[in-house]
Amino acid sequence: MLARLENVTKRYRTTEGVRDLSLDFPAGQIVGVLGLNGSGKSTMLKLIAGLLFPTAGAVTVFGGSPRGHRSRTVFLGETDTLWPWMTPADASRFMEGLYSDFEPVRFNELLDALEVPRRKTKAMSKGERGRLRLAMVLARSAQLYLLDEPLAGIDLISREKIMTSLVREWHTDETILLSTHEVAEAEGLFERAVYLRDGRLALDVPAETLRQEGKSVVQTFKEVLA
Amino acid sequence: MKRFGTLFWLEYRHSWIWSVALLGSLAFWAWGIKQVRVMDVAERLGIRAGLLAVACAIGAVVLCLMIGRIRAETRNGQYQVLLLTPPSGYAHIGARYLYAAATAFAYFITIGFLYWWIMALAGIHLDPTTLVELILAVPFYAISVSVLPLLAWTLLLMVFISAYRISGPGWIPGTVMLLGTPFAFRWLVNGILRITYTLPGWRLFANAPAALIERFGSPDPETALQVDNIIYNGVPIEPLLIMLALTVVLLAVAGRIWQEVEA
Repeated sequence: MLARLENVTKRYRTTEGVRDLSLDFPAGQIVGVLGLNGSGKSTMLKLIAGLLFPTAGAVTVFGGSPRGHRSRTVFLGETDTLWPWMTPADASRFMEGLYSDFEPVRFNELLDALEVPRRKTKAMSKGERGRLRLAMVLARSAQLYLLDEPLAGIDLISREKIMTSLVREWHTDETILLSTHEVAEAEGLFERAVYLRDGRLALDVPAETLRQEGKSVVQTFKEVLA
Repeated sequence: MKRFGTLFWLEYRHSWIWSVALLGSLAFWAWGIKQVRVMDVAERLGIRAGLLAVACAIGAVVLCLMIGRIRAETRNGQYQVLLLTPPSGYAHIGARYLYAAATAFAYFITIGFLYWWIMALAGIHLDPTTLVELILAVPFYAISVSVLPLLAWTLLLMVFISAYRISGPGWIPGTVMLLGTPFAFRWLVNGILRITYTLPGWRLFANAPAALIERFGSPDPETALQVDNIIYNGVPIEPLLIMLALTVVLLAVAGRIWQEVEA
């Protein structure tokens, strides 16, 4: 099991991000983490990444603490996290210096495929920065990818490029947890859909089961979360 | 080592404008020194030395602002990226601190050169040993007892404030630390003063008063006695040892707390 949440509750000062959440994520899945705003998607991904610590319950990644295995995990947050002075060359140096599984050649191929300009991030559009961030994480050979809204605020063409890269770069021994509001666009990717509502698990279902029932992920989204 | 080097490079890329601005500001101070045109040589030397003392204080504040930008990184999300990188909190803290300390040494050694310059302008010629002490040993001593622990404290405070801000009463430890600082500082200074000169002193800058006496004439017997006394004792070694040890402790705590930061 790559990641496991056991009765996890994360309490902020006045609210709860997730409550009594239990989930297992084995190797080799692309999982859609779906829910409305404030449903706990980002909190769940941050807990698995080790950016947050649970108030109650336990989060284990590769059998240990999330922070202890951060070199085997990729987290792509929803906020723009690159330094404004950074160019793709700087990003490559940064990643190569810190991650032994980062492949610069693959990174450059991804930059070309995603059409990322070779200039400072402060001179890039939001879509270009999003594609650069995605190239940085996909150029690693990690086993667990936590992608929190990588499509948010990005134009249609960039979104398509990102989705194509995700499919092309995914290996069967890797697990991707993808949180997105663009459910319809990402539907074809998902093998499993985890629906969250008010910080609790609303439904955890294989996409194949939904298809056999003649339902789509989007349709189920509306039924479960409306 | 490669990872530490990358973190140091990141800090350099992130902060080089601060360093250049700080070192460049010394050109302004040099210009300011040249503008002091009081007739009396001793008074002119005093005013110029005072200007450099102001430059030292401002430099320390700027260095603290430079190293304390973790809050801005937290807001902008870059802290998230750093927290997820494989190097430990100690490596992150160490790289940041090393860069700030290197900038501090460059800045204060240059100020040592400026002190030498204003002395030369006043007609005070130092022997080679005193000159080396003025440019290297005096900045080392001054930085070690003041700026280095101050930078470590700033780093610890910022990490502390960032660490528990998301969940729980994270503001409490940061506020307590901030409010308690003057009391802790007073206690520290009193403690150091009580044990000062328990160990043999460091005869740093011992020949400088001789150069001053040579330039400005023999002082009265009472002053000469005081000068002899200072020369005999040298500077106390206890503040240096205590502050360096305190710096290491503060950095170690900051590195440990880094592991607790939520983002």
